[in-house]
Amino acid sequence: MKKELIELRVNGRTHELALEPSKLLLDTLREDLQLTGSKRGCDDSSCGACTVQVDGIPVLSCTLLAASCEGQEITTVEGVSEHGSLAAIQKAYGDWGGAQCGFCTPGFMMTVKHLMAENPDPTEQEVRAALSGNLCRCTGYSQMYEAIKAAIEAEQKGMAAAK
Amino acid sequence: MNEFSVIGKRIAMVDAAGKTTGAGKYTDDLSVPGMLVGKILHSPYPHARIKRIATSRAAKLDGVVAVVTGKDARNPYGILPVGHDEHALALDKVRYVGDNVACVAAVSETIAEKALELIDVEYELLPGYFDPEESMKAQTDLIHDNKPHNIEKDYHHVFGDPDKALAEADCVMEGRFIANEVTHAAMEPHSTLAAFEIDSQTGKPGRLTVWSSTQVPYYLQHKLSLVLEMPMAQIRVIKPLVGGGFGGKSEVIPLEIIAAIAARAARAPVKITYTREEVFWAHRGRPRTIIDLKTGVKKDGTITAVKARVVQDGGGYCSYGVVTILYSGALLGALYDIPNIGYDGYRVLTNKPACGAMRGHGTVNVRFAFESQLDEIALKLNLDPAEIRRRNLLKPPCVTVNNLRVQSYGLPECIEQVVERSKWRERKGKLSRGRGLGIACSHYVSGAANSIIRSDMPHSTVNIKIDRDGGVVVYTGTSEIGQGSDTMTAQVAAEVLGCSLGRVKIVAADTDLTPIDIGSYSSRVTFMAGNATLRAAEEVKKQIALAAARKMDCAPEELVFRDDLIVRGDDFGKGFAGEGARATQSEASVSGHVEGQILRGSLQQKRKDEGPKDQMTFEEAVVAAIDSHGALTGTGSYAPPLEARGGKHKGAGVGPSPAYSYSAQVAEVTVDEETGEVTVHKVWAAHDCGRALNPVSVEGQIIGSVWMGMGQALTEEMVWKDGMLMNPGMLEYRSPSSVESPEVEPIIVESIDPEGPFGAKECSEGSLAATIPAISNAIYDAVGIRLHECPFTPERVLAALRALKKSKHINLTEGVDPAAPTRFREHGGALCFRGKGPERHALDPGRREATVEAGGDD
Amino acid sequence: MSLPEFKLLRPRTVDEATGYLAKYASNVRVLAGGTDLIPSMRQKLFEPRYVLDIRHIPELKGILRRIEAGVEIGALTTLTAVERSDFLRQHYPVLTEAARTVASPLLRNMGTIGGNICLDTRCLWYNQSLTWRKGCGFCIKKDGDLCHVAPGGSKCWAVFSGDTPPALLCLNAEIEIASPAGRRRVPLREFYTGLGDEYRKLNPNELLTRVFLPESSADYIGIYRKLRVRGSIDYPLAGVAVVLKRSNGHVADAQLAITAVNPAPLLVKGVLRLLEGRPIDESAAEAVGDLAARTAKPLTTSALTPEYRREMIRVFTKRAVLAAATN
Repeated sequence: MKKELIELRVNGRTHELALEPSKLLLDTLREDLQLTGSKRGCDDSSCGACTVQVDGIPVLSCTLLAASCEGQEITTVEGVSEHGSLAAIQKAYGDWGGAQCGFCTPGFMMTVKHLMAENPDPTEQEVRAALSGNLCRCTGYSQMYEAIKAAIEAEQKGMAAAK
Repeated sequence: MNEFSVIGKRIAMVDAAGKTTGAGKYTDDLSVPGMLVGKILHSPYPHARIKRIATSRAAKLDGVVAVVTGKDARNPYGILPVGHDEHALALDKVRYVGDNVACVAAVSETIAEKALELIDVEYELLPGYFDPEESMKAQTDLIHDNKPHNIEKDYHHVFGDPDKALAEADCVMEGRFIANEVTHAAMEPHSTLAAFEIDSQTGKPGRLTVWSSTQVPYYLQHKLSLVLEMPMAQIRVIKPLVGGGFGGKSEVIPLEIIAAIAARAARAPVKITYTREEVFWAHRGRPRTIIDLKTGVKKDGTITAVKARVVQDGGGYCSYGVVTILYSGALLGALYDIPNIGYDGYRVLTNKPACGAMRGHGTVNVRFAFESQLDEIALKLNLDPAEIRRRNLLKPPCVTVNNLRVQSYGLPECIEQVVERSKWRERKGKLSRGRGLGIACSHYVSGAANSIIRSDMPHSTVNIKIDRDGGVVVYTGTSEIGQGSDTMTAQVAAEVLGCSLGRVKIVAADTDLTPIDIGSYSSRVTFMAGNATLRAAEEVKKQIALAAARKMDCAPEELVFRDDLIVRGDDFGKGFAGEGARATQSEASVSGHVEGQILRGSLQQKRKDEGPKDQMTFEEAVVAAIDSHGALTGTGSYAPPLEARGGKHKGAGVGPSPAYSYSAQVAEVTVDEETGEVTVHKVWAAHDCGRALNPVSVEGQIIGSVWMGMGQALTEEMVWKDGMLMNPGMLEYRSPSSVESPEVEPIIVESIDPEGPFGAKECSEGSLAATIPAISNAIYDAVGIRLHECPFTPERVLAALRALKKSKHINLTEGVDPAAPTRFREHGGALCFRGKGPERHALDPGRREATVEAGGDD
Repeated sequence: MSLPEFKLLRPRTVDEATGYLAKYASNVRVLAGGTDLIPSMRQKLFEPRYVLDIRHIPELKGILRRIEAGVEIGALTTLTAVERSDFLRQHYPVLTEAARTVASPLLRNMGTIGGNICLDTRCLWYNQSLTWRKGCGFCIKKDGDLCHVAPGGSKCWAVFSGDTPPALLCLNAEIEIASPAGRRRVPLREFYTGLGDEYRKLNPNELLTRVFLPESSADYIGIYRKLRVRGSIDYPLAGVAVVLKRSNGHVADAQLAITAVNPAPLLVKGVLRLLEGRPIDESAAEAVGDLAARTAKPLTTSALTPEYRREMIRVFTKRAVLAAATN
């Protein structure tokens, strides 16, 4: 099928791309923009490894057409680090063992960032519910909860310090 | 003062940042110029002869660069030397739905997929074998001609006199247990990128580089060499980040060879990444297993004998099958003291994807049966389930009746810990109806004492190089697959050299750069590669110490390396104790750093050369060593000691290990008696890992193992209908989500193994097997049903509950009784692949006019 | 697995959308949240020449309260928005409860209420890759001539697996369907055919645009219970929605619908007769459970055995009725 010219905004930058209309956002990110942080783990929209944020909402980039996202603000895991340093949640996932093989981790980053933005003090049950669209095969999720707790504390401390 | 400065610390994995930022590269993240996409054509039939393959129409499609079939690589291979029964692409027969038939290399995935539909394959269907006990009766249409009765391998082991012991036992319990099939489902689908370089001398394609998601780069290099008929020296295998293995990447997977064959034919780099469905077809997971188990005990609960007959539904190829069936028997030993063991193991071929090694390889299903039966016995003898386990402990150091050497043995403490933490004594049997506690134990090898390729080669070798800047580079062939092996290696090197972790860089799993290591499987890396790293580091340290001792005017043996400083042993205490020491240390490291940047080399050295020193920084000492005897390198290797390599009987090679890990677990569950739904609330898991080198990692491995065991216990199951896998995706193969995953309390027990690096043993697999029976035993405690088939899906639980209560019986599991199963259950419905269905699809070759020119290209 | 090639149509208004539908009716699929269509297109279950991407039609988004006329939900309203609507939770709790159980949070962020209503029926013999389906010989629903679930028959038994439609049925919801000829309103209960293949009454040139919940259905006690193996992600293997109105401790009105056990979500007939005018006790709830189980015709389309799933309709119905009674 003939390619069409599409403008995509990813991590605050605008890209002009020639894409087949059937091209998925995930493939566009990985192949056309070399943003390989988002992963493909399944083919039936069930695993969450490809999670990105579209207009701030975590969604599956493997289930979205790239062309359909024109005009929307896409954030990938590559847009999470702050000024070249790890964001609190990224640091905490490392420290607390929230990532083992790391393949699902970018997806979790996007989901957890959204959770932290939406709910500054989630209960464990809320955390479990929020994470339940992302599968992890290594950790059994437990150490992620510790990491999220630690990241929230670190952010709160950071904010207190800034004040 | 702590004994260690790096070992035993809770640290982030050395590669964590790459994973949380998305910067780390997995194989599918890589691309090289001119790279093509490879797609594989799979068999739609479980058992068929290939009469003809015509590829010319596919080859003519615009954008297709090459189409390869079995004839492009005729040499058979297999992970075991006794099991070379696979072809990268089928030569004459397909043996399961999903078997590999042809591969297209094209400029895009879409074109490659279209081209697959243009390949015409004519099959002659053969009767399929789907039930192992039926398959064992086969006389004709064998899956492999050289395997009569479709039996891949059978073993019959007798240690002691089990028949006599059973006859004399006070109590004998007997039963059939069935464990259904599960798979690794690592989050990363397998991926391989293969590229040839043109040789400058010959002008023809020469060296091959393969980037692949593998746990075993050297085995891959070896098999590639075999199939492609190229010397190993011409093949370089590089393992990028791997998104989980669990055994599913611990052998050569068809795509790894197919990518290379396709790249050779296409004269261009080819990348193949499996779809999730293809991952299920590649499989190599834990086989469906039938276990007929008989245990005899004395009145006091001491076990006198165990007899097991184990039948494994191994799928269409050998894979690790011979090893799996041996582990199932061998690891009846080395957990408890069992004086008499009888074992009959049958690895059976069926027309399904090949089973292989999966976390807890070979032990898990048998352990489910054993620990369940042990609880049945405890009940009969009116013994506490924890107590009957205590009464059967080994007394190490010892050698078991089947020749397994046990030295460190933390099981007693593991049991005490979980009994204590779960308040077992107060709560067991006293919880409200529907809630229960169950206990079970398990163990695993810290690497196999005998490698699958019999040779005298060390199992691990590690090189270390230190440059003038004080940077330590460790070259190791081990595969980091998320388990933390790179971190372990860095920690061991840093601890031995007394340098900071930040100095250590790991170069791993690149066959051109790293010395041979047989790979990351059977939980061997910490023990074996850890020991090799330790030895390599000690060798380098000796050289540094020699040079430093000269500067410090003392004997090298007096020196202590720690925290980037080298001090004399007698200064050690004061040097590191007080505030002053810390100032010295930081000053030293600052100046060392600055000078390292500005005053490199001998100028720096000259200035420092005045008079003997009290202490030296690590960097100063390194410079001194290099100045005095050149390049600073060290090598260490590890081979398991002869005493740990087991007996002499047929099959004795599998089971022996230099050290075993131990686990005890208590699970707390509730059972909904109306729906049969089981909820696991908490698992207390104590694991004896020798010494925890990085407690964060150890706990992560324990939790992950328990969690994966819970998946097999409750939700995960490959569902079959006549060779069709009904659930080849993450939607229908139900890996637990965060919602129903229980809290796991990991408890580290450190038995300090005499031979492990810093006393460490394995921690990644041993905990899995105990979880299934712990949950089963807890279900019994909760509602009084004894389940003999896992997973304990709600329908199975409900059927057993109904049977127990003799309440309204409905045939909830289609004639299969989960409390006394006899055979595997197939999915309902009917498979009609012999019908004319396929011909009706617009894309089906059979439906189209035969436009292929006479003779085609087959 | 790549998507088949197609041309993407991106209308900004309903009129533009129905115009496209009229033009390409025979060869177009509608894309909203994508969570049903995209995986199916990967499996080559649909290979349309055109895909009509309605994600950016603003008039189809949002929950609008109509004075004394109930509430109107745009078909593109995400399930997350439905789940989180305070107004809906207060007045139509069965819907928010059902929406909350759909798949996973990520899928609810994408999936829409319209998509959940139009959800394609599912079957383990159908929702598979092209290669897989070749292996089984295809089926009536796609490319074949036989049914693996009920061999010998000529009916498709693929199962309807939406969570919100049973809730909507209980609420007497109506839907608005737009076409170039204009817009029509039909009761949701008339939308489904009961067949697995041609499962809904929607012409190729039509578009589901709105869902209406009548004022008269407001403020019922509502419960949704769903059988699934995992606590997230899974489609229902059996689902029960019940709404109930009490007066003086007795049941004044009740509706009950089941899902995931038939080719359509079904209102269970005769529930009110069993409950009306009496307090709800265990035996009344059990009687309703029996009734619901008789309405259910689960087959081997899904995981777990049909016998078990039917049994769970009985148990979940009983529980839902009791829960509604004590609410």
